[in-house]
Amino acid sequence: MSSTTREEILRHLTAVAELQPPVQKTGKAPYPTEITHELFRAYTRSPHDVGGEHDIPCDWSEEEHEAWGSRAYVTTECLAWRGVWCAEERRRMQNVDVGTTQYLGLPYYGRWLLSAARVLVDGHHVTLTELINKIDEVKKRHEPAR
Amino acid sequence: MSNDHDHDHGHGHGHKPPAPMVEEISDFEALEIAVRELSIEKGLFTAEDHRRFTEFAEHIGPTPAARMVAKAWLDPEYKKQCLTDGIKASLAVGVDWLNPTGFGTPSDYTDLRVLEDTPTRHHVVVCTLCSCYPRPILGFQPEWYRTPNYRRRLVRWPRQVLAEFGLQLPSEVEIRVEDSNQKCRFIVMPVRPAGTDGWTEDQLTEIVTRDCLIGVALPKPGKTSNIKLPVHKAVNPAHH
Amino acid sequence: MSQHDRTHHAKIATGKGDPQCFIGTAGPAKFKVGDRVRIKNLPDIFYTRCQVYSRGAVGEVAVVTHESPAPEDEAWGHVDHSEWFYIVRFKQKDLWPEYPDDFPNDTLQTEFSERWLESV
Repeated sequence: MSSTTREEILRHLTAVAELQPPVQKTGKAPYPTEITHELFRAYTRSPHDVGGEHDIPCDWSEEEHEAWGSRAYVTTECLAWRGVWCAEERRRMQNVDVGTTQYLGLPYYGRWLLSAARVLVDGHHVTLTELINKIDEVKKRHEPAR
Repeated sequence: MSNDHDHDHGHGHGHKPPAPMVEEISDFEALEIAVRELSIEKGLFTAEDHRRFTEFAEHIGPTPAARMVAKAWLDPEYKKQCLTDGIKASLAVGVDWLNPTGFGTPSDYTDLRVLEDTPTRHHVVVCTLCSCYPRPILGFQPEWYRTPNYRRRLVRWPRQVLAEFGLQLPSEVEIRVEDSNQKCRFIVMPVRPAGTDGWTEDQLTEIVTRDCLIGVALPKPGKTSNIKLPVHKAVNPAHH
Repeated sequence: MSQHDRTHHAKIATGKGDPQCFIGTAGPAKFKVGDRVRIKNLPDIFYTRCQVYSRGAVGEVAVVTHESPAPEDEAWGHVDHSEWFYIVRFKQKDLWPEYPDDFPNDTLQTEFSERWLESV
């Protein structure tokens, strides 16, 4: 029934703000019976779907982009331009697959960058080994002389 | 910076360590370089692709959208075109939405819709799911547009959010929130303000700011800039 | 990821754009401007672009926009099946129980692929 759905939706929008898995507690996963329908919905929601959630007035501000962020944006668009993925695959990986903690905890272009790295591996364009080795090599290039 | 020291820096040496030969980079910078180099090595895109798209990204901004509104205020036929075929209307302000790939930017698509304000209806745009924005005609989003805060609150408490941007509208005016969640992209066409009789297209363009085109401000004679906000500076900013 | 021919989208969309490249692929539209529709509360595991705040709400079709694969499919590179998309307009007071009566005319509109809509 429509009004029951609306009631569930409005409770959900409040419940997601209180979602903090008890990492400090017993160190074991919850029992299945502890996961109500409401909790299941909160845990399995798409993290990007924040419309209507409660939040407080904030001080609006602007942010100057880091050069790496602008380059990462261009990289993701070039990957789509040349058919490695499409924008919707990127949004899924970047805004949902990362999970709520990374979604809220990482810089905006940090997630663009992570998803670009992810599609290289998930799409079998590089192996994870190749990615790891490349990151390691890049870091060593930029280590200060000892 | 050159390094003149040719001996070990042991403990208690008393020297300042030499400046590094290369700059240290952050985890993000390392990953960005790794992803770009691997992509090019594997033939996923070319360095030239990256340069071309970078150039495209460095040249987009809000002026074409502002000019579109100004032209529409002056020409009822053009206004009709803006409201029925935003992509075609964009050509008149120098924006070809098929650029730079020939089929559009992957993230911005090619379906621009212009939302016409009236004296009894005001539009404001948000993308609650991410930060969808008509980049080819409006440039990059302001950071506040991308925040979970704006995206949570604008759809449910629009008048409060607009008031925080300095915009309050009479209670009988319909505030229409456009949640831009699919492939359509939106700009707001505000009502032409009083005090602009006889103005040229250039003069009108100047007062249609980015904030007006999103819908968090109304155009006013003499107001040619967006809301003044603190700017968080980057460590290694992108050059434009 | 899209394991298909990486030149496919460029082939179908160059000179046309996206979503223009999907014109004619969705069949007849089920809804038209003015229809009253309710947003279905379908399962949304793993990915959706149908906002939870809209589920179960009743609104009016304001614009029939275009044909395109639904984002739930496009997010895995599946572009074989298209749907019609619709901008649906809601009264804010129908979405939010606490929306002030002082602002009775306020509305919100957002876009849905056809699978999310049912007739009222």
